[in-house]
Amino acid sequence: MFSRLRDTRSVTPPAGTSSSVAERLDEQTLHASQVPWSTVIWNDPVNLMSYVSWVFRRHFGMTREDAERAMLAVHHDGRATVAEGNREAMERHVEAMHEYGLWATVEKAPR
Amino acid sequence: MRGFQATEAGWQAILEPEEARILLSLSRQLQSLLADSLEPDALADGAVRRLLPDAYREDPEAAEEWRRLSRRGLVERKVAHAATLSRALAAPAIASEPTTITLEPSDALDWVRAVGDLRLVIADRIGIVVDGDEGTTAEPGLRELYDWLAWIQDDLVRVFEPGDGGADGDE
Repeated sequence: MFSRLRDTRSVTPPAGTSSSVAERLDEQTLHASQVPWSTVIWNDPVNLMSYVSWVFRRHFGMTREDAERAMLAVHHDGRATVAEGNREAMERHVEAMHEYGLWATVEKAPR
Repeated sequence: MRGFQATEAGWQAILEPEEARILLSLSRQLQSLLADSLEPDALADGAVRRLLPDAYREDPEAAEEWRRLSRRGLVERKVAHAATLSRALAAPAIASEPTTITLEPSDALDWVRAVGDLRLVIADRIGIVVDGDEGTTAEPGLRELYDWLAWIQDDLVRVFEPGDGGADGDE
């Protein structure tokens, strides 16, 4: 089980104000060096294997071989980590994956 | 409809009026579903949850915050993808003869994603939940549409990467 995000946050917006994107990104930067995050793709019965592999090549710049391996890992294991890095970057990947219709989540990388 | 061909003018395919009408209808329904997807009760619809999944599985608060910051932009982009599809189909859908449509690569990128979103919605409607599900027969024709959209998506991927053998089957 992953520890909860809130536990690691050192900055909490004052009550009554919503945190801006910039504030939120600053928070993430604070933790980026200490806490690696990952982008996880989950298996789904809908997306074509050819499409998923193409998305991995197009978005992550994977080689054909790596993209096929990642796609098959998702297919057989139910999930695969396709990127690791700071949280902000992983959220951007996940949003892009959702735009492609893939089921993706951000997780704290295992340490 | 036969597959897209890369030409000097762009990616071209010939659509029958009936094919264009069906795709246009689906695309408009997708735009409508997405337009309503920011309503508070929209997530009761499994198709909306699949189009706009949570970004965090284990952390409801992070998921909610991400949703608040990202969902509107994501919805707008998905609507724009479907709008590109609708735009290209408007004339072919009212034509009496098969029409050649021409896509720029950026249009094709919108197409391949909108077609994928349509498949996610139809999969929910016909009950394709886990690998191997064939879908129910309660909605005649939807399974055929689902497979036809898969063919279009696979075809677009093929044109994006000339020389690709491409893989068959569902993930």
